[in-house]
Amino acid sequence: MTTLTFPLSRIEGHARVEIEVQNGKVISTRFKATEMRGFEIFVQGIPAEQMPVIVPRICGVCSTAHHVVAVKTLEDAYGVTPPPLASRIRSLLLLGQLLQNQATSLFIFTMPDRVGADSLFEMDDVDVIKKKHFEMAQRALKIRELGTDLITLAGGQFIHPVRAVVGGVNAGIPAERAELMLNRLQQALPMACELFDAYWELTIRMKDRIGSWGDDQPAYYITSTGKVRPDFNSHEIRVMNPEGECCEIFSPRSFREVLEFKESEYSYAGKTSYKGGVIRANSLARANLTAHMGTKVANGYLHRLRIEFGIPAHPIMLFELGRGIELVYAIERAAQMLEQPLDGEDTDVPYTPRDGEGYGLVEAPRGPLIHHYVIEKGKIARAEFIIPTVHNMGSIERALKVAAERYITGDTVNMELEKAVGRVVRAFDPCIACATH
Amino acid sequence: MAEEKINTHEQNTVPRFAVLQLSGCAGCEVSLLNAHEWTEKFQLTYMPLVSSAYDVPEVDILLISGGVRTDEDAHHLKNAVKNAKRVVAVGTCAISGGVANLGNRDEVRQLFLKRQDRLDVPRLLPRSRPVDDFVPIDLYLPGCPPTPELFMAALTDPAGYQASLIVCQECGRKKLKDQKPEHLLGFQKGNVDPEICLINQGYACIGTSTRGGCRAPCTRAGHPCVGCRGPSNVLIEKDSQAWLESIQKVFHAMTNIPDDELKEALLSPQLALFLFQFSDYAGGDRPPRPKEKVL
Ligand code: SF4
Ligand code: SF4
Repeated sequence: MTTLTFPLSRIEGHARVEIEVQNGKVISTRFKATEMRGFEIFVQGIPAEQMPVIVPRICGVCSTAHHVVAVKTLEDAYGVTPPPLASRIRSLLLLGQLLQNQATSLFIFTMPDRVGADSLFEMDDVDVIKKKHFEMAQRALKIRELGTDLITLAGGQFIHPVRAVVGGVNAGIPAERAELMLNRLQQALPMACELFDAYWELTIRMKDRIGSWGDDQPAYYITSTGKVRPDFNSHEIRVMNPEGECCEIFSPRSFREVLEFKESEYSYAGKTSYKGGVIRANSLARANLTAHMGTKVANGYLHRLRIEFGIPAHPIMLFELGRGIELVYAIERAAQMLEQPLDGEDTDVPYTPRDGEGYGLVEAPRGPLIHHYVIEKGKIARAEFIIPTVHNMGSIERALKVAAERYITGDTVNMELEKAVGRVVRAFDPCIACATH
Repeated sequence: MAEEKINTHEQNTVPRFAVLQLSGCAGCEVSLLNAHEWTEKFQLTYMPLVSSAYDVPEVDILLISGGVRTDEDAHHLKNAVKNAKRVVAVGTCAISGGVANLGNRDEVRQLFLKRQDRLDVPRLLPRSRPVDDFVPIDLYLPGCPPTPELFMAALTDPAGYQASLIVCQECGRKKLKDQKPEHLLGFQKGNVDPEICLINQGYACIGTSTRGGCRAPCTRAGHPCVGCRGPSNVLIEKDSQAWLESIQKVFHAMTNIPDDELKEALLSPQLALFLFQFSDYAGGDRPPRPKEKVL
C-alpha cells in the first residue's frame, strides 16, 4: 500500500491530506488536522465572564462569531434577553465577519486556483498577467478590510472584538460614524460585484477545464440561518435531506440528540454525522435552506444560481459561488442596517450572574456554531465548542475520495490530483484552528 | 542594522519576507493582511495562509506568529530561521504564550496528554513555549494581534517608531480625582461612560502599565485593557510581581476599594492568569527581553 501525502495551504490552520492507494484502488482519503491548542481544556477554572474575550482567540478569522456566541451562551445560563438594539448591533458585527471571511476565502484562498497561480501576491511589473493578478489582490484586500472596519465599528476591535457584553452591547453606534461606513459600503458594492463577476466567470472556465462542477454525491445540509432570509444572529438549526426537504429543526440545547460526534484516531479534529449520513455546512447549505437573500443584488445572483442548479444544489464548487453571493449580501445588508438609527435606545439590560448551564448559537461563515458552558461558583467547569468545520469533515473526505478516484488509475497518478486536493478542500473553506480548538 | 542588510539583497531590490505560523489563531496574519501597504514594498515569499509554497526560502525578514506547542512547530521554527537575516516574533502567543498559557497550569496540563493517542499527528510538547526558547530573536512585536500600523513599523522602520509608553497616553479617557469607586466591577458590564477613565468607573483596566502603541482600541470601545501588549518599558525587565504591584498601587490611588477586596481580585489566580496569559514576560527562568528589542 502507498500513502500519498499532500500538505495544504491557503486554508486557515495546519492540516494535510493523506490518500492510501493499493493496486490502483483508493483505500482511504484522510483529512488530518495537525494542530491543537486545547481551549476546552484550558478554559476550565476561568471566570465565566472572561469567556467573550478569551474565546475569540480560538480563531482570528472567525473570532467575531466566537465572541458573540460566548455572550449568548452566558445569557442563556443567566436567563437574560438582550434589548433589540443590542441584537441588531451583534448582527452587524456578524455581517462584518461574513464580509471579511468571504472576501478572504474567495480572493485570497481560491482565486489563485482559478488563475493558475500560487498566490495573488506575486508582485511583477513586467509580466502582464501577474500584474493583473496583483491588482486584483489589492482590490480584494480593500473589500476585506471593509469587513474588519465594520467589525471595529460594531465591536470595538478589528479582530478580537470586545463590545458585545452579557445583557447587550456596551454602546450604540453614533450616527456620524454609521454614515461614514454606509458611504464606504455603498461605494464598495460595485467593486465587489465586479470582482465576483470575474470570479464566477473564471470558475466556469475552471469547470470547463476540469470537466466538472465538482463531483461528489448529494448530502444533508445544515444551517442556522433564517428560513426566509439570512440571519446570522441565529436561534435554531435546520437540516435538509439530500432530496431538498427540511427534515429536522432543533435548538442548540438538543444538538446531542440530533448530531453524532466521533473523535478521530488520525486527526486532532473529530467528525459529525446526521443519522449516519454525511453533512454539509457553510455557504451552500445556506443557499439551499434560505428562501431568498433579502437584498436586491445578492438575490439576483442567488436566482441565477437556482436557475442553473435548482434546489438543493450539490456540486461542491457552488460553495464558492455561494460565498460570493454572501459577500454581496453582507455589503448590502450592512448598508440597510446602518440606514436605521443604531443609537439612542437601551443597549443592555441588567442581569445577575448565576451558576448553571448555557447554550449559545450563531451562524458563523462556516455554519452553525454552538458553545456550551457549565458554570460552577462563577467559573467554567466544562466547555464545549461545536464547530461547523467538524460537520464538514465527513463530506470533505468523501469529496476527496471522488477526486482521488478520478485521478488515480491503475498505477498512474495524474498530476492534476495535487491541484484537485487543494481545490476540493478549499471549496469547503475549513478552519482548522476552530475545528481542533 | 536591518536596513543595510535589506538593501544589499543581490537579485532583488525589493526586500523579501516570509511568515511562519506556529500554534496560534491566525489573527496576527489577518492583521498583517490589513496592513496592505506592504504589498507595494515587499515581496512575500512564504505564508501558507495566502500562498502555496512549502518551504521558507531565503528572506530578509521572517515573521513568526504563534507559540511552540508541538514537536512539528519546533522543527519548522528551527529550520525556518536558518534562511532568515532577521527574525521577528509577532503576537503575544509567540512571545509570552498568549491565551495558550492558560494551558500551562499544572491542574490542566495532564488533560492534554489524553488528546495524544492519535496516529501520526505532531506530538504535543509538555507545555506551550515561546519562540525564543528555541531560536534567537532580533525583534519582538507584542500585541494580540499587533495592529497593522505596528506591523508596518516592524517591517519598515522599527528603530524610528515611537510608541507611547503606556496605553493611557493613547486612550483619551479622563482620569478623575474625585470619582473613586468603592468596589471592583470586573471586566465588562454594560453602560460605560464614554469619556471617563475605566478605573474611575470601577473596571479592572491595566492600561496604566501596559505598553502603548496599539492606539487603545479596547479602552476606547469601553473594554478594560487586558495587557496584550505586555508590560511597558518601565516594567518589562522586571518580574511579574513588580507589574502586579504597580497595578495595585494605581488602584490604591484611584479607588476606595478596600484592601482585601483589591488583593483578592488582583492577586486571585484567575485574574492574574487572565492578565498574564497575555503578558508574563519575565516569568519562569527565562532572562527578561531587553527593551531595546521590543517594539
Ligand atoms: S497573539 Fe493573539 S492574534 Fe496573534 S495568534 Fe496569538 S491569539 Fe491570535
Ligand atoms: S486606566 Fe485604562 S481607561 Fe483609564 S486612561 Fe488608562 S487605559 Fe484608559
